[in-house]
Amino acid sequence: MHETELHDLSDDSDYAASQQQASGSIMRCDLGKSAVSEPNGSEVVYSKDNVTIHPTQYASERISGRLLLVKQGSSLFMSWIPYKPSTDGVGYMSRSSNSCPMEKDRSLYTIKSLPLSDVRSIRRHTPALGWQYIIVVLSSGLAFPPLYFYSGGVREFLATLKQHIFIMRSADDANVFLLNDFQDPLQRSLSSLELPGVVSVANRASLRDSLSSVTSADNSERVNQETYDGSASTSEYSGRHKHKAYDPARDLSIQVLEKFSLVTKFARETTSQIFRESHNNGFSPYEKRQQNNYASPNLVGTRPNDAQKNAGVTTVASDPLEFDKLPLVWGKQRETPLCLEEWAAFLDSEGRVVDSKALRKRIFYGGAEHNLRKEVWKFLLGYHEYDSTYAEREYLAAVKKSEYDIIKSQWQSISATQAKRFTKFRERKGLIEKDVVRTDRSVSYYEGEDNPNVAVLRDILLTYSFYNFDLGYCQGMSDLLSPILYVMKDESESFWCFVALMERLGPNFNRDQNGMHSQLLALSKLVELLDSPLHNYLKQADCLNYFFCFRWILIQFKREFEYSKVMRLWEVLWTHYLSEHFHLYMCVAILKRYRKKIMGEQMDFDTLLKFINELSGHIDLDGTIRDAEALCACAGENGTACIPPGTPPSLPVETDMGLYPQDDDVL
Amino acid sequence: MASRRRTLLKVIILGDSGYVNKKFSNQYKATIGADFLTKEVQFEDRLFTLQIWDTAGQERFQSLGVAFYRGADCCVLVYDVNVMKSFDNLNNWREEFLIQASPSDPENFPFVVLGNKIDIDGGNSRVVSEKKARAWCASKGNIPYFETSAKEGFNVEAAFQCMAKNALKNEPEEEM
Repeated sequence: MHETELHDLSDDSDYAASQQQASGSIMRCDLGKSAVSEPNGSEVVYSKDNVTIHPTQYASERISGRLLLVKQGSSLFMSWIPYKPSTDGVGYMSRSSNSCPMEKDRSLYTIKSLPLSDVRSIRRHTPALGWQYIIVVLSSGLAFPPLYFYSGGVREFLATLKQHIFIMRSADDANVFLLNDFQDPLQRSLSSLELPGVVSVANRASLRDSLSSVTSADNSERVNQETYDGSASTSEYSGRHKHKAYDPARDLSIQVLEKFSLVTKFARETTSQIFRESHNNGFSPYEKRQQNNYASPNLVGTRPNDAQKNAGVTTVASDPLEFDKLPLVWGKQRETPLCLEEWAAFLDSEGRVVDSKALRKRIFYGGAEHNLRKEVWKFLLGYHEYDSTYAEREYLAAVKKSEYDIIKSQWQSISATQAKRFTKFRERKGLIEKDVVRTDRSVSYYEGEDNPNVAVLRDILLTYSFYNFDLGYCQGMSDLLSPILYVMKDESESFWCFVALMERLGPNFNRDQNGMHSQLLALSKLVELLDSPLHNYLKQADCLNYFFCFRWILIQFKREFEYSKVMRLWEVLWTHYLSEHFHLYMCVAILKRYRKKIMGEQMDFDTLLKFINELSGHIDLDGTIRDAEALCACAGENGTACIPPGTPPSLPVETDMGLYPQDDDVL
Repeated sequence: MASRRRTLLKVIILGDSGYVNKKFSNQYKATIGADFLTKEVQFEDRLFTLQIWDTAGQERFQSLGVAFYRGADCCVLVYDVNVMKSFDNLNNWREEFLIQASPSDPENFPFVVLGNKIDIDGGNSRVVSEKKARAWCASKGNIPYFETSAKEGFNVEAAFQCMAKNALKNEPEEEM
């Protein structure tokens, strides 16, 4: 049996030593020198410069380094050592004092003498555009973030591996190379589906070995596992086959690899803890997180027992569709909202925002306290320039007030007689009046009969339809304006903030719907990239138009969360911190959370639309933001490539035709 | 075998007048995209589940209809008896529906027309007569016509009954 051979290896002293070293390097990345300065007997068999990781989408935050393969005795080790940044490095300058220091990131991602015996597989990506990269997946299920080969050399890397260790191309995917996988093909393909909590026999053993923690109890357990291997593994995975009808198992294995690569950025910070936990109770930290996640109330579609899963349950992952229970919550812990003291610290003596990127980052991760929104939103929306002074803003407010009054007077001066001959005006006004009376009337600010704030909503929207006559009024606009007026409490300031917002979101309301279509198309590409089984499911269910996400995108999730959370989400989106299109990653994150239900119940378009609509009020905002953050970081360049330039809310490209193409039917 | 017959009916509501059966409340919001609610209707000892679709009313969202109207069993055209334009637009809505939904047999696709808000101002502000409306319906292949007031729920039930009957009539004989 191959397994036997594998275990025999662990009795080999050299092997055990290397494993011990491995566990040390994983648990304490700061220990030991880099591979180049390994003691005698080590030989660098591969060295590649400019191998880079992308912790975020920002080029300035990328970390380049040198990738090495070092042979020591009969073992092969992989290292990736980031370059020391020059002290005036570009990446440093833009970082604020409260952002996490580059140095921490660098040590976080450093790979020191990873024994290749700990690697389960390496996935190669060779996109037609952009850099080649690899994702290294460990036997434990953890993965390192994508390593981008800026100077090429992926093929050479794999060829070098092949010279020194047993490496096999996956039968399922020509871009996946399996290492240390000596099991039968069925087991192999199945094991690529597994969760960390149910690692297969060999991997479980090697994980323990790597932790040098083989107790006698473990030994007996291992014997049992070996005895049962053939049949046990079959039954262990049999649950998966029942979904064969549409089981995207093939894609899922890739999906899993990709998913675990998400994990790495955040998981490495707690690697030692993770291993300790795995060691202590054999229960994966992923599942712990899962429990935490499912302990939160309000999760639609959560069966009662999901919330009650306890540490003893290891069958959680017996079904590949259970993967959505593995939350993607790996984004940074959400922070407390920006408070007044912090806000004041961002401003210089004359009121300029000194480091706008740091401010946007701060708000991205925590939002802003409500009483600061009135000020902060004007910057985020682009109504105020970050480098404007108190005095300039005060002046601007006065100028803009009178400008607003002038535009408003354009429709105010229309007499009843004139209106009779001005159908378009009457219709617009009628449409707006019909909508404002049903916009957020349960929010106290807009509550009750003859509420003056409802009239202000109407006035602003009608004025906007004159300010931007081509675009006019469209349903959904009142939803976008309502929180802005609620925050600003000032008609003119609300109007100009709304104008700034509509600079980006206007195309959502275009007559030809091109803005919506381009976003829905980008969303479908992102899902294809980040969750190909779900994509394949939606494809065969004829749902690829993504119209079931229409409301999410049209009004930035306004209807999906309670009022205060909408304001929180909007300020996060408006930072454009990780991406201008963070809202699309939010969509992916929500869909991923419910993918099991969607696929498991084989929802058709109508059912899916209803399901999505009824998620309103039941989506965990913070968790979803964190998921979206992780997805965004994981997708990186490939994600950006899914979103064509000019896709809203990117600023539209101005043409001679005007921003809002008309057709004959103007309302 | 009645039990084997399809009893779920997808009904699309279209028109300038807005949805017929939604009473004003604080929770009432304009539909963005599309949504539907379900309503049980009994007709001739058979129970139907009407899936009543409400789509965004504004014309610029009509291109979404391709997805939302797909598989519709019945289309309800609503106009406001107090607003001439809403009546004039009925034909546009009907044609737009047939384009977007592209049913297999457009000539015989079941429509229902509702003249809504007959209660407003005691009927004094009415500008579209019942006669005029019925004439239009007759010219479009005898579309069943109902006058309703959503506020009092008047005749709405009868309209739903008709949809069930309509669908039943249109249902291909698929006896086992």
